[in-house]
Order: sequence, then structure tokens, then C-alpha cells
Amino acid sequence: MAETLLVVRDLGKTYGTTAPTRALDGVCFEIARGEFASIVGQSGSGKSTLLNLLGLLDTPTDGEVLYNGEPAGTLSKSERAKLRNSLIGFVFQFHHLLPEFSVLENVTMPSLIAGAEFDADLRRRAGETLEMLGLEGLGGKNADALSGGQKQRVAIARALMNRPALVLADEPTGNLDTANTDQVYELFRSVSREYGTAFLIVTHDRLLAQRTDRILEVSDGRLTQDVRNPRTAGKDTPSPLRSAS
Amino acid sequence: MLSLRIAIRFLLRSPVQSGLIVAGIAIGISVQVFVGSLITSLQDNLVQTTVGGSPQVTVKAPDQGDPVVWSGRLSATLEQDPRVTAVARVRDYSALYSDGTEDAPLNIKSGELREMDSVYRISPRVVAGQARLQNDDILVGAEFASKFAIGPGDEMALRLANGRDVRLTVAGVFDLGNATLNERQAFTAPGLGRSATGFDDSEHSAVETQIDDVFASREVAAKWRRELPEVRVLDWQTQNEDLLTALSSQSSSSYMIQGFVLLAVALGIASTLAISAVQKTRQIGILKAMGMSDGAAGMLFLWEAAILGVLGTAAGLVAGRLLVWGFSFAPVSFSIEVEPGFVLFSASIGLGVALMSAVIPIRKTSRLDPIEVIQGG
Repeated sequence: MAETLLVVRDLGKTYGTTAPTRALDGVCFEIARGEFASIVGQSGSGKSTLLNLLGLLDTPTDGEVLYNGEPAGTLSKSERAKLRNSLIGFVFQFHHLLPEFSVLENVTMPSLIAGAEFDADLRRRAGETLEMLGLEGLGGKNADALSGGQKQRVAIARALMNRPALVLADEPTGNLDTANTDQVYELFRSVSREYGTAFLIVTHDRLLAQRTDRILEVSDGRLTQDVRNPRTAGKDTPSPLRSAS
Repeated sequence: MLSLRIAIRFLLRSPVQSGLIVAGIAIGISVQVFVGSLITSLQDNLVQTTVGGSPQVTVKAPDQGDPVVWSGRLSATLEQDPRVTAVARVRDYSALYSDGTEDAPLNIKSGELREMDSVYRISPRVVAGQARLQNDDILVGAEFASKFAIGPGDEMALRLANGRDVRLTVAGVFDLGNATLNERQAFTAPGLGRSATGFDDSEHSAVETQIDDVFASREVAAKWRRELPEVRVLDWQTQNEDLLTALSSQSSSSYMIQGFVLLAVALGIASTLAISAVQKTRQIGILKAMGMSDGAAGMLFLWEAAILGVLGTAAGLVAGRLLVWGFSFAPVSFSIEVEPGFVLFSASIGLGVALMSAVIPIRKTSRLDPIEVIQGG
């Protein structure tokens, strides 16, 4: 049995004090290393709130989030930022690349934030990651000069740069056409298999969710379903990864 | 230095905006350097013109008309004071000149030319004849010489206050830069003063001095009063309160102008940096989501302010020097001296103002919640 990476214990979040809104209530689940799961739910169901809490971007009102058995609630703001940098990779619906920087610089940004030097070794690693995502030769281009699909792949490369244990993806295919959606899914799958990276994908796209190994459904702030996907069990999706020697 | 690297990219991304801030700082600093140096030089010139060629601290006898005795105590006090740069022992007397049709009173100082030169700078300002004071020599002013058509080598008959008549030879004509002095003042050798006043060798009407810092005359006089209670000590600052008030008012207005210019610069930088912080909200949010700390995010704007401050201040100092250079062509009687200390002060102010202007964007950035950006798209 795979080692547990993330434990969510009785997690709750209330916004406001005069007219409090309960956005999340009593959510419990665990994510193992390398697990490939999705979170589905209607708009306003609480899935983004859940993702923000898991990503340590927000603090819960109740319950706790544990990474590698350590509760994140006791950490200071800067400690949470460090943990976020080293343990979690984010992929957003909007690619959120920095237009002031080249593709290569954007990809290396998490490592630079962690204190790495922009040296030959870092550039080589970033080049390999870009190549893995089919973006070879684009490192020197400005992030603004890419197509929508390319930008999203650069954002994925950036999320993977620090080799995180968990990638949190918030509607990563929300702005992509079917072909690009398929490509992103296959990339996620391959990375998960290749590096043992756990994926938690928040999506409206039922078809995408049905291709993940586990579906967590959130409704009215509660976890209403947590099912293993029988369709993907034991399935070995062909890898689109290039050789990253 | 990731924060510095990102700050540079942010600035380069908006070159016009960055250039305008640099220009704003440069204008402010150049005005400060120019106005500050102009006022300082103008005041120095005014002070030098007013008291540079005259006594700054004068020792006299307590009663008018009595002599002050050049005693060992007096000479020791003056000689031991390191601030004293010139001492002239003089005897003052008056005389009447008449050319047969018109009379003219003269205030005459008699003493050693070397000593009187050190206070009044007579020799360099002799415009005709020689700077010489032997037995019966007299040096007269340019207005007086012109009025009575007298020149070097001419003889002058003077009636002294005690009724005695003397005949003196005009050795030279001076121009002290003051029409009244040039018409009324004259200088003679020590001997004539002795016989005109009836003072002996050690007795003088006054001992006149100059000091290294003209604005220390009050302190110097106070010290001498304590040490020499038997004499009267006069300082130029007490005797020229109006001038000092005018100088002080001028300085205050200059400081006000400089202060408001710097305030305008500070507000300009602060507002532009605040706008920049809003413009870069998305980038800051995503950097924070990737793990950048609040402190590092705030540092982006501190670096931006520092870069803009250094560039703007450097450009301002160059522009200020150019303004000073341009002023050298103006038809005025003095030149602007830019003191290195003041340049350093202006540079510090420029950089300081820029850094302080970053406070608002730094606070704004530190408080920025990355969730707002991520969810907002």
C-alpha cells in the first residue's frame, strides 16, 4: 500500500462573522503518494475553497491538513510558503505566467524562489522539463508569444520544476479545446507514473474526472462521494513523455 | 537576489512609466542642488562683501574716546585663540580737508599697513599709486580722490580735531567697493595717529580682529568678555541683526522651496509605485502562490524604489551641475559653488525619499492574498 502523503481531517471553513457562510464542513480524506485523483462539484460547492486549503493558501476554520504526517496549521505564514514551494505544484485554469520573463525563466521561477541560482544546471533541468512537455526550443521566447495550449504546458512545466510530491490543478483544461485537454491529461498521467507525483485535479469536466483513478465529489461544502474509478483500475495509459535523460 | 531581478524586469516592462519617475526625481534633485547652492553662495558672497573686509570682533575701552591698552593679557588672549585670523591695532581720528571751496570730513585709521591690510585688505584694492604708509603718507578712497581731483604724489592739508594742521602726501587711492567708505575713509601711518589722539605706544582706539568663521563672532566675543572684563568687546553679528534676520529669512524660504519640491517628488514616486503595485498584482499573487514570502514580495518594490532613486538622483545631480554651469553665464557678481557635502546630502535625500515612497506599495504587496489573484483569473 502506497505511503500517505496528505491527510485531510474534519476540514471546515467559514467566511465572514456578521453573516457567516459555511463554505466547507467536515471534509475527511487521504491522498497517497502518486495517487491520481479528481475533485468534482457544482460551482460554489466548495471545491476551490478545499483546493486553497490543501494548497496552504488559506487556513481552515476547523480541522486540519497534514502533509507527511505533520499538521500544516501550526506553521507560520512564511513556513507555509516554503512548504508550498517545495511540496506542491500549482496548475491554474488561467496559466498565470509572468509576461516579464521568458519561458525558461518562468519555468525556473519556483526553484529561484527556493533559493537556487539561475546557473547552467538549473537551465539544463528546466530545458529537460520543457522538452518533456514538448516545448523544446521555446525557452528563450517571451511567455506572451505562445499559444494558449503552449502557455498551459509551460505552466505545467513550472509546477513540476521543483519535482513536487503533489500537483494541485484547478480547472487546468477549462480554457482548452478537446485536443489540448487530452494532451494535458496524458501529460499529468505520465508525470504521475514517471515521478510518483500525486495529482488532485479540480474540474467541471466529468469526462476528465472519469479518467482519474479516484473521484471526490463536493456538494454544499461536504464531501458527498469518494469513489475509486473501476474504469482506470489497472489501466496503463501510453506515455507521451519524451526521453529526459 | 531574485527580488532585484524581478524588480528590474518590472521596470523594464514599463519603460515610459519608469522613465517618467526617474525624470521626476531628477528634476526635484536638480532644483534642490541648484537652489540650495545658489542661496548658500549668494549668502556667502553677501557676508563676505559685508564683513569680509572689515572687523568682525573689535576690542575697545569701556568708555568712548578712552584708549584700549595693548597689554600682555589682551595680546595673550587674542594670540592664544586659534579662531583669530587677523589683528589690527588702530587709532581712529577725524580730520577736515578743504580745497578752498569745499570742506570734507575724513575718518582716518592709523596703524601698521600690514595689520590693517589683514582686516581691510587695502593693498589689493589700491587702484592708483602705491600701497604704502610711511611717515606722512595717506591712502584715500576713489570717490574722495575723484571729487577733489587728487592723485598719488599730491600733497593734502588736513586740519585735525585738536586744531593742528598737517600736510600729508597721497601714496595711493583705494576702492573698498563702498562709495561712502571711498569718500570718507582714509588710512595713515601709526605715528600720525599717535600725535592726533595723544595716545602712547601701547594705547589704541581699538583692536580689530577677524576670525575663521564669521558666524562665530558672538561666541568669540562672549569668551573674550569673560576673560577680559576690563575692555568692551563688540561683534559684527550683534551690530548687524537686520542683515542676519534677512539671511535667515532667505534660508528659510530656500528650505521651504526645497522641501515642497521634494514633497512633490515623493508624492509622485509614491503614487506611481502604488499604481505599479496594482498593475503587478497578478504577478505578485502568482509569485506568492509559488512560495515567495511576503518579505521577498515587498522587497520587489523596495528594489524598484532604490533603482529609480539611484538613477533619478544621479541624473538630478548631473542636471543640477548643468544648471549651475548655465548660471555661470548670468551677469551677476558671484558664482555658485557646489559643495561636495551638499551634493552628498542631496543624493541621500533623493534616495531616502524614493525608499520612503515604497512604503505604501510594500505594505499593499505584503497584504496581498494570492487567492484573490488565482480565483480572479
